[in-house]
Amino acid sequence: MSLGSSHTPLRQLGSGKGHIALGSSGSEAILSEMSSSYPMKLLSPKVPGDNVAVVYILSYGGGLVGGDQTTLTVEVRDRTKLVLLSQGSTKVFKTRPGARLSTPSTGGSSSSITLQRMDVTVTSSSALFLLPDPVTCFRSAKYHQLQTFRLAQDASMVVLDWITSGRRSLGEDWAFSRYYSLNEVWVGDERVVKDVMLLEEPQTQVQTLPSRSVPDRLAPYSCYAMVIMYGPFVQSTMRQLSARYQEVSVFKQSSPPNLLWSLSSIRDGKGCVLRVAALETEVVKDWLSHSLSGFEEVLGPDVYRRAFV
Amino acid sequence: MDSDYEAYILLLLSDGNLPTGSFVASSGLESYVTHGFFGASSSTSQPKDKLSATTNFIRDSLATYARSALPFVYDAHKLAEDFLSEYMHGVAVNRGEDMESAEADFTALDNLYEAMTLNDVVRRASKAQGVALLTLFSKGFSKPPALRAFTTDLNAARREELATKLVDHLKLQIRRERILGHLPTCWGVLTAALNLSLERSQFLHLFLHARNLLSASVRLNTLGPYAAQQLLLHAVRPLVEIEMQNCKHLRSGYLRPSLGNAEPLPLDGLDETLHGPANTWPLGEILAARHDLQHSRIFNS
Repeated sequence: MSLGSSHTPLRQLGSGKGHIALGSSGSEAILSEMSSSYPMKLLSPKVPGDNVAVVYILSYGGGLVGGDQTTLTVEVRDRTKLVLLSQGSTKVFKTRPGARLSTPSTGGSSSSITLQRMDVTVTSSSALFLLPDPVTCFRSAKYHQLQTFRLAQDASMVVLDWITSGRRSLGEDWAFSRYYSLNEVWVGDERVVKDVMLLEEPQTQVQTLPSRSVPDRLAPYSCYAMVIMYGPFVQSTMRQLSARYQEVSVFKQSSPPNLLWSLSSIRDGKGCVLRVAALETEVVKDWLSHSLSGFEEVLGPDVYRRAFV
Repeated sequence: MDSDYEAYILLLLSDGNLPTGSFVASSGLESYVTHGFFGASSSTSQPKDKLSATTNFIRDSLATYARSALPFVYDAHKLAEDFLSEYMHGVAVNRGEDMESAEADFTALDNLYEAMTLNDVVRRASKAQGVALLTLFSKGFSKPPALRAFTTDLNAARREELATKLVDHLKLQIRRERILGHLPTCWGVLTAALNLSLERSQFLHLFLHARNLLSASVRLNTLGPYAAQQLLLHAVRPLVEIEMQNCKHLRSGYLRPSLGNAEPLPLDGLDETLHGPANTWPLGEILAARHDLQHSRIFNS
């Protein structure tokens, strides 16, 4: 798609493709490939540390709109560690900001869906750390995120997937139309995780009961996060989390706590799934930043500091 | 199958005293109450508030369970049905091989449910109830040897015999820890073995999920036994009906090993994001997983 043409209709569908390949030369991580097309933008700052690279995944105009589709293919090889970050939350608009309300709708439900795909391969002893800011879907937005991770037996992976309730300053409280997030993790030929989260108003409401909507179901929290971790690099952080989790003892409470978290193992402790919910997004961010700080040892403090800013 | 037979099977399966382990499961309700989601301490709040809090929990729990488990009931029921009807119509030539492919398909389906159930407490409860259902069939629903000679319908007798073989085989593989045996997949097999139609099977599965939540409410003393009956009649019925409407056609998207590459599209070509299983209640996930963290608890999940 041409970026230069100012006559491109605003509603024309974006179809961004991106490709990242990380290998190594000596103890230096080398991005042998980093390319992308509108509306996706990739940026890699120089960072200190052996065999570590950081890539920011950005979008033009600071957000995505209905019909935007991006596909990012990532390969992490040669015992390197790739940290994928974003700058600010991924904003999903129903239509491009500034687009005229009179712009004719292209009709059809699938055309208005924003779709982000990511396919990641991590080879032996390498690691992926996907630690983006949360997704924020604005009023009436429809968002699908499909992520597949293929790991070699002793590869490692950390994937953070989180969502906020919208722009609270505008009174949005889970006001988007549809949010579908799929995370699939394969280790060798085995699918060890298939996480699917769907948030959508039911098509039909029960007439004989009071109405109950997505915000009712998710109250009182305005941010939900999930972290999937797997492999040798995450073991020490997992042990810390697990020790902390086992110390929790819940006595009868009179109202929901400000923050809730849970931890479950996958594949006999080779990995785990961490979930966090809190009243405020900032609280989740601080909690995660603190609780995952064990990754500082793996990535170096300078790199880790770039996540959760 | 004639409806009198189905009605009779429904009566048997809806018996609250069936030893299926459901009485030790609260499906996250106990944790929900402990974490303060019923509002102020249950002794001071109004019965009316507890009734609506219970209804809310049932709605959210049933919606996410239907969306994530019914596709697996569908595919397990179909798998067992295919196995039984192939035999009945003499399609299967080699008996051993076909049992093997039924087992391979069931394992693939069951493993997918495991990969989608990212919650230690829920997985534990699901596996305990799954194997209990197969045991119930073997011990409680198979025809006693003394009565086997007395049959008028040879086809029915043959089907019963095959169903028993299938269930016994799967149960053995679960004992040997070759199969996990989750609740929705075992339910699908059990109900197909009993010749219950898919739709009845799914409806009953959701009804039992909701009724178990009400039984748990009574044990937790958040609801009285009369109020539980009121909800069962006036709230659960429309909720089960609507979830059936929303979810009965959904498929799991598993690949049947027995079909090899013959079925490259696991959902019959349907869009997985619209017709596949999904979790719709992240809050419920966290609370269910936190069950074991409660200082004192009366349920296992």
